[in-house]
Amino acid sequence: MAVPNANTAPLSEYAGDEVSALVLDPGWSTTRAGFAGEDAPKSVIPTHYGVSSSDSRLFFGENAIHSPQANLQIKNPWSADGIVEDWDTAAKLWEYSITSRLTGPKPTHPEKNGLNDDPNGEAMELDAQEEVEKPLTENPLLMTEPGWNPVKAREKYIEIAMEDWGVPAYWLGRSGVLAAFAAGKASALVVDVGANITSVTPVVDGIMMKKGVQKSPLAGNFVSNQIRAMFKQNQVPLTPHYMVSSKTAVDAGAPSQATYKKFETAPPASYRRLQEERVLTEFKESVVQCWTGPGKLSNGTNEEIAKSQPPRPFEMPDGWNQVFGLDRFKVTEGLFDETAALEDDENAKPTKAQTIPAMIQAALNQVDVDQRPHLLNNVVVTGASSFLPGFNDRLNAELQGMYPSPRIRLSAPGNTIERKYASWIGGSILGSLGSFHQMWISKKEYDEHGANIVEKRCK
Amino acid sequence: MAQSGIKVAAECVTAYEELKSKKAFRFILFKISDDGKEIVVDETGKEDDWDVFREKLISSKSKDKRGKEGVGARYAVYDFHHTSGEGIVQEKPGLLSWIPDDAGVFVKMTYAGSKEALKMALPGLAADIQASATEDLEYEGSVRPKVFKRL
Ligand SMILES: Nc1ncnc2c1ncn2[C@@H]1O[C@H](COP(=O)(O)OP(=O)(O)OP(=O)(O)O)[C@@H](O)[C@H]1O
Ligand SMILES: [Mg+2]
Repeated sequence: MAVPNANTAPLSEYAGDEVSALVLDPGWSTTRAGFAGEDAPKSVIPTHYGVSSSDSRLFFGENAIHSPQANLQIKNPWSADGIVEDWDTAAKLWEYSITSRLTGPKPTHPEKNGLNDDPNGEAMELDAQEEVEKPLTENPLLMTEPGWNPVKAREKYIEIAMEDWGVPAYWLGRSGVLAAFAAGKASALVVDVGANITSVTPVVDGIMMKKGVQKSPLAGNFVSNQIRAMFKQNQVPLTPHYMVSSKTAVDAGAPSQATYKKFETAPPASYRRLQEERVLTEFKESVVQCWTGPGKLSNGTNEEIAKSQPPRPFEMPDGWNQVFGLDRFKVTEGLFDETAALEDDENAKPTKAQTIPAMIQAALNQVDVDQRPHLLNNVVVTGASSFLPGFNDRLNAELQGMYPSPRIRLSAPGNTIERKYASWIGGSILGSLGSFHQMWISKKEYDEHGANIVEKRCK
Repeated sequence: MAQSGIKVAAECVTAYEELKSKKAFRFILFKISDDGKEIVVDETGKEDDWDVFREKLISSKSKDKRGKEGVGARYAVYDFHHTSGEGIVQEKPGLLSWIPDDAGVFVKMTYAGSKEALKMALPGLAADIQASATEDLEYEGSVRPKVFKRL
């Protein structure tokens, strides 16, 4: 790609057509990055990373953390509250998501690449060296953030981009607002069902209503844990792929007849857990179902009706297989009804306030009464956990039950890519618009005003 | 400023003033210019028939980022009239944004992300209607109750 030198180019040049902006949408399960103007993020990497327990080296990317190793601990830089916790690693992981697939790493500075080792090689100016070594000096960067990101975290984002990466221009967008826009709505109630967090974001006239933003842990990981609890109750052996070297077909419910891989030292529990999570996602995709309502699964004869639906088979990587009937509904019911959540020593009972219907109610209570019918008419559903079959129907039924009079209307892109990557796509389009160049915070402005400029410019 | 950074051309404000003060038009359609820089006047109309206006919205076309024409979006100011039982006529100019669900994501994003710019440039709008499906363009069933709330 022909790019002008960003350090000398005026703002209009590097934000124009010549250099594409980069768009980075970090989530708990995956980190999405790509060039603005493209239809989908080119770089989607796991947010989990590996740390070597012998020398603390970090490993990023699918391939690096995929194979079982005795000393590779798997971690995630986000906190359970949906805010970055380990900033150092998050910054490195994000940089990797961009440089590994998009921009390529910067060539090592001539002074440092070992070819010019000369005791008198002090001729290079230090300043110049710093400039050259920053990895992302060519493209403006648009990032997304959760609606509850504290001011300190927002400032940290721009600091990392400007100081560590040397980006020439930066902008930070609320992921809820970007998802609303990508659905064609300046006003919407955005329900994002992710991995770590489900959030509800009221957006009015293109502005996020901060007071109204709600979040809860009843998201994809919660459903995974409900499935684990159900497996435990039913003695279902959850066996990840890496443990199996070969399998033979067995009857439903019969013990598996597989050869298992032998490890001198088994990989750490954190590795196994991440690999189990993959099997659980397969289980979600092929077996799990939300009770579609009306009413809760426990109401009246609803369980009987659910039971009468054809059960779904599932086969573990080691060949063990079984069909799942009512249980395939039960593992999602807690998203809507806290009393239905499966409980054991690893699964604490959720509160009513954490359920998705209660969060929507709480969000609406924080917006102007006049706006409520309008938002209920423009509910935008996003996040990969919203692909749970029956999710939208159930959400619709719950909303009809709570708000009988205004018309409820859910909009969820049928297009998988658009639903999964709504915020990234929103950012991709925004960052590619010629008109957007005046929105960027330039390096110069950052230097003049400091990190707090995000508070003023990225509302 | 709206988040897209798209500006509002002066002709939009002029046309709006003419609709308000001189009743020069019944409606004005606005679109984002082909170069993507600003919101411009697409068309003005004097027809009283709501269906004429509605039809124009439904058949509108917009270009995607590659310049390919497809399902379109528009903003509109419509001069809403209502005659009460006592024969008192009320007139209110209202904003209507038409961003249909079946438009492409580029069109949806640019129109949703630029609406605020137009709204802020046109003072005195009595309503702000967000329409995304043809049923939202039914006058009696959907639009009128939103404009004349207390009637
Ligand atoms: N087809 C599917 N059906 C049900 N669940 C799915 C499906 N595909 C992925 N998931 C689940 O969706 C979650 C990932 O969703 P998403 O990519 O929206 O999260 P994220 O943005 O990385 O996380 P967060 O929003 O919490 O930061 C995982 O829990 C995964 O198991
Ligand atoms: Mg997410």
